[in-house]
Amino acid sequence: MRSENELIKLLNRDLNLLSFKKLRKQNISIRFENEELVSGLNYLKSQNYIHLATISCVDWIEDNQFELIYQLFSYEDKISLSVKTRINRKTSKFVTIKNLWGVAKYYERDIHDFFGIKFTGNDNMDELILENWNEIPPMRKDFKTRQYVDKKYDWRQYHGQE
Amino acid sequence: MDKSKMTEMFFGPNHPGVPGNYGINYFYEGDTVVSAEPNPGHLHRGFEKLMEEREWIKNTPLVCRICVMEPDINEMVYAMGFEAIGKIDIPKRATYIRSIILELARIQAHIFSIGGNCGAIGLYTAMQWGVLTRDYILDLFEEITGGRVYHIYIRPGGVRHDIEDVTLQKILDLLNDLENNRMPEFQKLIFENPIAQKRWKNTAILNQEDALSLGVTGPALRATGLVHDVRKLMPYAAYEQVDFKVPSGQDGDAWTRLKLKKDEIFQSINIIRQLINNIPDGPVSLNLGNALKYKIPNGEAYVKIESSRGEYGYYIVSDGGLKPYRVHVRGTSTPLGLYGVESLLPGCRIEDVPIWAHSLGICPPEFDR
Repeated sequence: MRSENELIKLLNRDLNLLSFKKLRKQNISIRFENEELVSGLNYLKSQNYIHLATISCVDWIEDNQFELIYQLFSYEDKISLSVKTRINRKTSKFVTIKNLWGVAKYYERDIHDFFGIKFTGNDNMDELILENWNEIPPMRKDFKTRQYVDKKYDWRQYHGQE
Repeated sequence: MDKSKMTEMFFGPNHPGVPGNYGINYFYEGDTVVSAEPNPGHLHRGFEKLMEEREWIKNTPLVCRICVMEPDINEMVYAMGFEAIGKIDIPKRATYIRSIILELARIQAHIFSIGGNCGAIGLYTAMQWGVLTRDYILDLFEEITGGRVYHIYIRPGGVRHDIEDVTLQKILDLLNDLENNRMPEFQKLIFENPIAQKRWKNTAILNQEDALSLGVTGPALRATGLVHDVRKLMPYAAYEQVDFKVPSGQDGDAWTRLKLKKDEIFQSINIIRQLINNIPDGPVSLNLGNALKYKIPNGEAYVKIESSRGEYGYYIVSDGGLKPYRVHVRGTSTPLGLYGVESLLPGCRIEDVPIWAHSLGICPPEFDR
């Protein structure tokens, strides 16, 4: 079992980290360059970080970037690790990690639905939750729900309403 | 694969064997599933987008609706995320009350789930008993929080109001009744029933390797021989102050998972008794100022707790504003309900598909969100 500081020391020795941060007890977040991410995840998996809880995505529209967060956990170290990388919002393309964790296939499809990020190598990028969606992906910050509703549906006129 | 020998089956979204509005499309040959594909999205309500447009406190009545069976769990994770980013320490009594509520929620979810599993094999008496027994706990929730199913009780900074001593006594009485009267009846009707045993044993097997690589947690993982429990791995609320065991099994089949659920009910009863006996006095919530103007600094947190079916996580990002910048919900059954259907269901017999779905705790609302 490693402590948070030991883990950070180990990761700094073996990996090319962009930055790291101790969020709180048992929680660390680290950041990689795009090219380093897959090999970094591979290394972490060999270090007992075998539990991929989920893949989250955040739209940082002001920085013109998407942030992908891979939530890992080690049952030995009892540390929750948020592994992050930022990708260009315009191209919105990244590589799949389905060869490391098969389950990532569906997490990536989910992100493709809601953020429009394409994962090269993941051959099935069909709609998962949404159906026949032609607008910009709904979880992007520039998708405005109210505008969409105004455009898509007619507001009902109630009795006595002008 | 010879497609001419196979038949396609649309199992759900409207089917009594499916847990919720969710479909599994599979091909079968003879009576064995050959390939399967999940068909989610029928219950998508856009929670994550909605939460970005509401003030912090206004999301408390919203998150409990994400999974019908686990309202308190969602409230707790959301509140924990808020407190983790804001570095807020809540009063000790509030942590005890939260644990009591969470354990009561676990008992009701387990009883309902055992009932649901009996429904999947046609043992409808036990299903009705499950619903009835759960209702006694809902009565208590109504007395404590004012709501039966959705409680909106655990909120950022503590809990909404205190529990009276009279109510604590009522909880203890109910636990005695559960332990001495209800559970022995369940034992006789379900767990000593040879037909039920025959249906559940060696059915819907999930092995340890698959469970770990998929990220399965909770009873489904513990049934494969591991004792991982978020309450022990990353203690929250008042779980460090209580002494309890985490039951585990070896076979990884539906029967083992259900037996674990039954054992966990007794552990939860034990936990609640310890909590009630040692509950400290004091305030139950912090004053964080005007509820509509809650503000926490920039930051992020991935928080998780042990729901009745495993890890329930929220990834919350704050940009220092009045509303969350991003909330991502990781439902417990997401890996099983999506990838698990594709990778684990083939090989299962048609009549075992409902057992597979129910005993692994698939809850579609949490991955449709």
